[in-house]
Amino acid sequence: MKNKSTLPWVFLTPAMVVLAVLALVPTVCAIVISFEDRELSRPDGNFVGFDNYLALFSDRRFVNAITVSLSWEVITVGFTMLIAVGLGILLFECVSPRTRKILALLFIVPVVLPRVSAAFVWKFAFHPLYGIATYPYKAITGQPLDLLSNPLTALGTVALVDVWQWGLFFSVIVLKLLETLPPQPFEAARLDHARTWEVYTYVALPMLKAPLISLAFVKMIESLRAFDLIYVMTRGGPGISTETLDMYAFSQGFIESGRISYASGMAVLMMIATSLAFTVIWKRAKI
Amino acid sequence: MKDLKALVSSIAIACALASSASSIAAAAQCTDTIRVIAQPRDGLTLLENYKDEFAKLSGGADFQIDYLNENDRRAKTKADASTIGKYNVYYIDEANVALFAKSGWVAPLADYYPADYDYADFDPGRQKVATYDGKVWFAPLTGGGDLMVYRKDLLEAAGIKPPTTLDEYVAAIKALHQPDKGIYGTALRGQRGSGANVWRWMPYFKGFGGNWFDGDKPVFDGDAAVKATETYLEIFKYSAPGSQTGGWDEAVGAFTSGQVALLIESTPLVGMALDPKASQVADKIGYLPPPTPLTGGGYGHGLAIGTKANKTEEAKQCAGLFIAWATSKENEQRRLDEGQFSELNRTSVMTSPKFAERYGPDLGQALADTGKVTAVNFWQNASWPDLGDRWGIILEELITGTRTDVKEGLDELNGFATDLVARSQ
Amino acid sequence: MSRRSTGRLAGRAILLLAAFSAVFPAFWTALNAFKNRVDIVTPTPLFIFTPTLDNFAYVLGRDSVFDGLFNSLVTSGAAVLIGAVLGLPAAYAIARHPHRWSKDIQFFVLSLRFLPPVAVAIPLMVIWLQLELYDTRLSLIITYTLLTLATVVWLSVPAFARVPKEVEEAARVDGYGPYAIFFLIALPIASRSLIGAVAFAFVLVWNEFLIALMLTTSDAKTLPIVASELTQLGRDVPWGILNASVVLLSIPPLLFIGVLSGMLNSAFKRKSS
Repeated sequence: MKNKSTLPWVFLTPAMVVLAVLALVPTVCAIVISFEDRELSRPDGNFVGFDNYLALFSDRRFVNAITVSLSWEVITVGFTMLIAVGLGILLFECVSPRTRKILALLFIVPVVLPRVSAAFVWKFAFHPLYGIATYPYKAITGQPLDLLSNPLTALGTVALVDVWQWGLFFSVIVLKLLETLPPQPFEAARLDHARTWEVYTYVALPMLKAPLISLAFVKMIESLRAFDLIYVMTRGGPGISTETLDMYAFSQGFIESGRISYASGMAVLMMIATSLAFTVIWKRAKI
Repeated sequence: MKDLKALVSSIAIACALASSASSIAAAAQCTDTIRVIAQPRDGLTLLENYKDEFAKLSGGADFQIDYLNENDRRAKTKADASTIGKYNVYYIDEANVALFAKSGWVAPLADYYPADYDYADFDPGRQKVATYDGKVWFAPLTGGGDLMVYRKDLLEAAGIKPPTTLDEYVAAIKALHQPDKGIYGTALRGQRGSGANVWRWMPYFKGFGGNWFDGDKPVFDGDAAVKATETYLEIFKYSAPGSQTGGWDEAVGAFTSGQVALLIESTPLVGMALDPKASQVADKIGYLPPPTPLTGGGYGHGLAIGTKANKTEEAKQCAGLFIAWATSKENEQRRLDEGQFSELNRTSVMTSPKFAERYGPDLGQALADTGKVTAVNFWQNASWPDLGDRWGIILEELITGTRTDVKEGLDELNGFATDLVARSQ
Repeated sequence: MSRRSTGRLAGRAILLLAAFSAVFPAFWTALNAFKNRVDIVTPTPLFIFTPTLDNFAYVLGRDSVFDGLFNSLVTSGAAVLIGAVLGLPAAYAIARHPHRWSKDIQFFVLSLRFLPPVAVAIPLMVIWLQLELYDTRLSLIITYTLLTLATVVWLSVPAFARVPKEVEEAARVDGYGPYAIFFLIALPIASRSLIGAVAFAFVLVWNEFLIALMLTTSDAKTLPIVASELTQLGRDVPWGILNASVVLLSIPPLLFIGVLSGMLNSAFKRKSS
């Protein structure tokens, strides 16, 4: 672009200023608060240095929340990608373009549903007495099945809802990606009598490596937003078995004791961890 | 100097006159919408049918009630009161009345409760739980103690006498537990919360001689708590499915749908279990005070006047008028007509011929008997909700099996309590 | 060949199952919204029943639901509008006038998405409380602008980049200035994808929960908060009413589904050519 137009400045500045202010003010404020001992009912805090951070590391629930959050990330990202790739290939391979279009539209439905709705829909479906998803089990065995109040199955059950929303949606994206691939390598592989799964494992998926990694990256970011599902479905229970970091920060800062500073300390640590991790992954994946 | 003094005092007198004059005028003139935050109660829903009546009484005011479940209501009222205070009327209870009163979030009710609504008519036990630091803070909507409720048919068929001691009670639960027939020994509360699992656990703790605090020093971490927890967990093996993370609703639901042999629950359960519309076992139940040495958990919920949303005296009077009307004899009478047993709080209503006709003389006697073992089981302190909720989480972990060491859980709570006391000073 | 066709049959069966799972829960909820409580609380799920409109009448008649709907529309609408007005030009500048910071700006915009919502909500709660703007629609709109603006910029950059350069070049030859090119050429050509981006931003804030939960208590409560409060009431709540409120909450995002899928299509079609 040779012209020295004013346009870039005029167009960029307001947006960037607004974003910078809206992002930086809370961030700085979070850091400041985390060094104080503020509570919701006592707005004036004293400077306490690293007390909140030190207390966090001897807090059993915080350590537990880290484990839960990490398992949540691994479970939801892993299964979402598996489902997405599996269904995407099936869509590409097994049905006519017209059916494909209809299915693709249906597969987007779960992800646009508000998380609160999705969580409620499934919580009710898993209701041990009136749920439609637990009905077959109850009809066969005569015993109620209560997945959400069993510490072993609760997290998986909530994760299922997340995978339901994102896995189906991503399968549509995988389908679109497959449609963009040139047909020649497929034909060549077929001529070599490669089986269908071999075509995909050795030809198609390696060609899509970069976009699939970006997809996984987007899912990792979205998986940080587990709060809505967990809040509606389990509240972090039974016990603390589904208490993720955001759920715990919320209950410390709001529900249980209103210890804003303590919760802020947690939020700052989360912010540092996610920013570091995602920046590293982003730079790695791009180059 | 003298002039100045005179000026100041005359201004003060003028102000006092003005404020008293305006408050008299306002007593009959409330026009704003009174915002109420509450948990769902049939009695309150019933009130919404009579909005016109209140508008007429107050000179044009309306009211709007937002409903939240019990745990959320506790959290939200606290969050609202400690920050901006948008609600004119808070629904508070025995467990957080100390916190609300001590923090100045609610106004002393007696100052704004019109005398002709007769506060003294409320059940004395409920007046007691509404009192903190010598003042009354809320007008009761519900309350009571505990009753042991049992299925007469099941006990008779098994040849078991209604238990009067804890040992007999546990033995009866074990004997009557037949999950393959869809009958469970009992139903407890497993859901976290000072008003949920901890509430049902406390009668054991207190019954075994436990105490929460000695002055500022936590003393609960001892044999009574360990024994109470072990007993609670033992009985939980015979508790209906869904109760592991359930509260009052689940326990009541399991009993009234005929899946439970006997249980100890708050007194309103009896009213519900006797109501053929809500209960499948209405004609098969018996009730007694809790077996010894268990104490009953005395409780009361009610409406209080928020201080932040009601900045002026007039506003406080309007809120007071709403509370008085909502808990009036006329409205209790309506609740009795609708069969809302758990919404009754006035002596004049509960001793009325209509009450006896509806629920029989036995219930009145049982309520009087259980009143004798009803006690304050919780720690009467502004920090109680914090402590109770923390124990609720640990107890939920013990119940669902993600934690097994009772003593370790209590030690953790002990550390939390010490920290809590230190922070609140 | 026959093994291939059985494989294909199995594949179709799986797809059918997936499609069923995608739609059935929503369908079932909608069905329950028309049921009386007795028809929901049954040991065996019921498909045939006498429908009732009571649940919707109750939900729409409740002040809290109506206020929530109004708050949701106002806050989401205003935040999306601000996001689009500021974000579309910014995205165009990034796409068409690259300079040495463009990559960093794009990464900055993306990195806003890394911020855990709770980390934004806690300090904002303190800030809004101090400014006495807590629990107002204004504070929620400003907060949501962070989300909508970042999303609009992020999704619109590729949309503008796909506008053929030759078209803009031709316009410049015809004497159009840079601003005229943006408003008269680039904006209309990219409009389909841009509408998708804006719709996506709307769905995002419409569905937003945690921030609204922490920044509102009564006056500015949005519909997701009201719906979640209704769903948490307890056992004795009328399930039909809950289902009805969930249906009401889900309708607006579902209306945009065509637009969103159009955006997906156009996003991937161009890449292949």
